[in-house]
Amino acid sequence: MGSNLATNLPANLSNSPGGAFRGDLSGVNLLRVIGLSKQYVRGGLWKKRVQVAAVTSAHFEIARGQTLALVGVSGSGKSTVARCVARIESPDAGQILVQGTDIARLSSRELLPFRSGIQMVFQDAVMSMNPCFSALEAIEEPLRIQRKAIGNRQERRDRVGRLMIEVGLSPDWMDRPISNFSGGQRQRLALARALALRPRLLVLDEALTGLDVSTQAQIANLLLDLQAAHQLTYLLISHDLALVARMANVIGVMAGGRIVETGPAEQIVSNPMHAATKQLLASAKTTAAKFAAITGAPS
Amino acid sequence: MARDHLIRVSDLSVTYCADEGMPIRAVDGISLEISPQEIVGILGESGCGKSTLAGALLRLLPPGAKSEGGILFRGLELMNLPEAELRALRGREIALIPQDPALSLNPVITAGVLIGEVLRAHLPLSAAERRQRVKELLCEVGFDRPEEIYSAYPHQLSGGQRQRIAIAQAMACRPGLLVADEPTGKLDATLQSEIIELLSKIRQQHGTAILIISHDPAILAGFSDRIAVMYAGRIVEVGSSAEIFGRPLHPYTQALMRIASSMITSAGVISRFPAIAGESPDPGCIAEGCRFEPRCSERMDVCSQRYPQTFLPEPSRLVNCFKYGE
Repeated sequence: MGSNLATNLPANLSNSPGGAFRGDLSGVNLLRVIGLSKQYVRGGLWKKRVQVAAVTSAHFEIARGQTLALVGVSGSGKSTVARCVARIESPDAGQILVQGTDIARLSSRELLPFRSGIQMVFQDAVMSMNPCFSALEAIEEPLRIQRKAIGNRQERRDRVGRLMIEVGLSPDWMDRPISNFSGGQRQRLALARALALRPRLLVLDEALTGLDVSTQAQIANLLLDLQAAHQLTYLLISHDLALVARMANVIGVMAGGRIVETGPAEQIVSNPMHAATKQLLASAKTTAAKFAAITGAPS
Repeated sequence: MARDHLIRVSDLSVTYCADEGMPIRAVDGISLEISPQEIVGILGESGCGKSTLAGALLRLLPPGAKSEGGILFRGLELMNLPEAELRALRGREIALIPQDPALSLNPVITAGVLIGEVLRAHLPLSAAERRQRVKELLCEVGFDRPEEIYSAYPHQLSGGQRQRIAIAQAMACRPGLLVADEPTGKLDATLQSEIIELLSKIRQQHGTAILIISHDPAILAGFSDRIAVMYAGRIVEVGSSAEIFGRPLHPYTQALMRIASSMITSAGVISRFPAIAGESPDPGCIAEGCRFEPRCSERMDVCSQRYPQTFLPEPSRLVNCFKYGE
């Protein structure tokens, strides 16, 4: 639904400030992560404080318009990587190069122009938005923060309306509180909100998890359409290897805070090298085999 | 005739009466039987009323919810049972495995005591006996070192471990029926299959009947004996697991199976997944015709005029779709 409307973008939104994202840089890696490490401190108060390494020396890169999926079991560090790339966490070591600029150590003020280029979508769309907001307010919030909520009331409503159409929501629902939207609709809202700033990179942290199978398919298709329409680059975080193998160009497998294997999606699925990859694949294959056995379809 | 059924739900409806606005009928005329030792899956998307159905079976609905119909459990009509008798029944005869154990486990009580509470409520055991019994239960749900888990608080456990604690609580009094409401909803793929295996083992060892609720056909594949597919408050198709997966009859089930199979076969990058367009209807304004009609690729004129009655295209199969009769 979104694809045919995707070209009707508000003109004043298609450029980002700061200069860093302008110009055609196709062929260059949009994101390059070198030696990213992050530790958390556990304990404290009554317990001894212990350093826990969530991510150790992660390397990867994503070409513009491509999807890299980070997969792994719970606690393998994939969300920490996502949060560092979106810079809602500060990494302890390493570089995060966004079109050549290292954002790993920028202050929040320095980060502001970069924020419009990288947006994050979370698993729980509602927890990541103010529950009192209407759809209009939720979608417009990033624009306000970036001081881009310009124009008169009608222009702003038109802009939000176009974003809602793009993600397959009716603009008639603009004034409804976000609590009135269903799970799939909320994830669409979260995408509209992320797209409002016309980012180049979307960090999708388990954005398809917890949705119904039918809704999952709809949102996955929407992501694929939006990527094609805007040459978006995706960092996709998921525990579901089978699903991401169908959406990603490159897959990185995480275990114990390290990226233990990286490769083209087909290669990871057909010829897994690391034990962690084999284990994820085995669990996906068991489910697929059970399903195939009962449906009578070839596995 | 109904002798051999463990629980028999007949024409059950649940209506939520909000302070303002129209009352919402979340479950609309559902009939379903579960035999002893049988695993029945309820398949449906969020908002279709499947969790309300689970709540209604345990008579655990929020105030403001009005239920009608009959729930006959081991010859006992639960709908007219006083609260005191219901309390004696819940946890002992029918137990619930909730969706999110992070929310259902009291965060300031250790796992061992949480399981012991269920025993204390229903069985006359001494403290030592109870402690011993809890340890056995912990082993049963797959913990190698029950002592460590016994004294752990819920926040010290992982999501999969918490779900095992919830299962141990539910199994504490060896109930005849387990109601599992999306027991794997919050877990990752590897843990999901472990929990499903555990539930299979429980049925095998104790002959517990299980009503499992899920939105994901892959969870139910190879696990449930029979499946009832729910859509917008009603059951639209019932059949054996092999029938529902192998030869789905209702267009909704057919579409759901196509989607599920596209998502679990990890071969090949695709540009589009098969999908069902649109959303399920707003429970506040349900039209008269078939509820799936606006999204159905095989709709006919009659579909928008009245709700399809239940057809029996094969002896064991029920389907509500005009494709199978007029």
